Amino acid sequence: MSVAILHGGTYYHAEAILGPRYRDHFDRVIYAPELEADDLDGVAVLIVPDRLNPALLRRHRPLLLQHLARGRTLVVFAETQAHAWAPGVAWTFRPTNFWWWRQQGAEPAQRVIRPDHELFRFVDPQATVWHFHGVLHPPPGAEALIVVPPEPGGRDEGGALLYDDRVTTPGRLIVSTLDPFYHHGSHFMPATTRFLDGFLPWARAAAQGEAIRRESAAASG
Amino acid sequence: MIDTLLIDCEQPESGVSDLIRRPDLGPRIMAVGMYALDEVALADYRALLIGMHCDQLYLVGRRARIEDFVSTGGTVLVSGHVAWPFLSGLDRFRPIADYRIADLEVRRESEHPVWAGVAPEDLTFRRGIAGFYGRGWHKPPPGATVIHSLGARRLPLDFAYAIGRGRVLFHGGNDLWTYLDAGNSAERMMPQLFDWTAAPVDA
Repeated sequence: MSVAILHGGTYYHAEAILGPRYRDHFDRVIYAPELEADDLDGVAVLIVPDRLNPALLRRHRPLLLQHLARGRTLVVFAETQAHAWAPGVAWTFRPTNFWWWRQQGAEPAQRVIRPDHELFRFVDPQATVWHFHGVLHPPPGAEALIVVPPEPGGRDEGGALLYDDRVTTPGRLIVSTLDPFYHHGSHFMPATTRFLDGFLPWARAAAQGEAIRRESAAASG
Repeated sequence: MIDTLLIDCEQPESGVSDLIRRPDLGPRIMAVGMYALDEVALADYRALLIGMHCDQLYLVGRRARIEDFVSTGGTVLVSGHVAWPFLSGLDRFRPIADYRIADLEVRRESEHPVWAGVAPEDLTFRRGIAGFYGRGWHKPPPGATVIHSLGARRLPLDFAYAIGRGRVLFHGGNDLWTYLDAGNSAERMMPQLFDWTAAPVDA
């Protein structure tokens, strides 16, 4: 079982996904406008990088839902309008504060509330801190891993920046409002590189774990 | 009068919706979805705005159409980093390895109407952070006029060149329309861009 990722023909996707640092972390790189059903055969973990044009994701929604229906994993990053096409996703816009760290006494708003989650065996919680693009409201049964309190202006009641949903579909849907591919691929914000340094090995391990689980299920069945 | 076509990639804070809502600029713009470009007659417009979130592989497939639009008198503004050159005169983005703030200092190399009255330091820093406007460079084509460069090595950042009877304005960083609310002289760029595209090509 393999790790696949979509890309959208932007510079930042080219640099982050096809560039030398991470290219070998993916078994399959798919130019999103050309995605076809066969491309997802044998794919355990499919990654939708941040800022992939939402028009493509709405177009390919049947394939993405089918991937989840097969019990596989879909990871969706920020600014892809997941709330418009992915099951159970609810999101509230919050203007991005990219300069918070320059304000006196600055503390990041986000908190990792499940440091014991397997993702954080690979990703340093500090490497999840740069900024975020709105907040998610996880559906019942999903695990929020990183959360933020309500916006001081009262725009929202707070919510998650990353959650792990193993209940809404037969598969596993991980949704985040972080945008690491854009920033790493734009040579801007080093925390995003540290995030991908951990996240992509996690994706590999998750795909291998999926393969082992399937084999043992087949053996016992 | 609508005379400018902008390719929209559905990025909420990309400045596109702010631009379209502006009473002075919005009525001049038609936004078209990235993958609906084939349905649009480019000849109906004076200018085409291509930003950093565009699918460059898709544009490579439309290169002849876009070049035909420019060479017959159109204006194209390209901003962002180039991975797949989709227009004559464009080359791949070259990052500055391990840059420091001094490497990101924007320097004016020549005057251009779009940047009239825009202070280079308002381009270098945004809320005190350097790098939004430029953090790498592109090689300009022969005959191009370099407008801004970066750092002591004066690496080309913004430049203008001609294709046939038309013109290309290239900015190698974050989209110019993300500066509409910059709170300083950088806000002048977009209104001046529209004034410039409406002026005769030899202006």
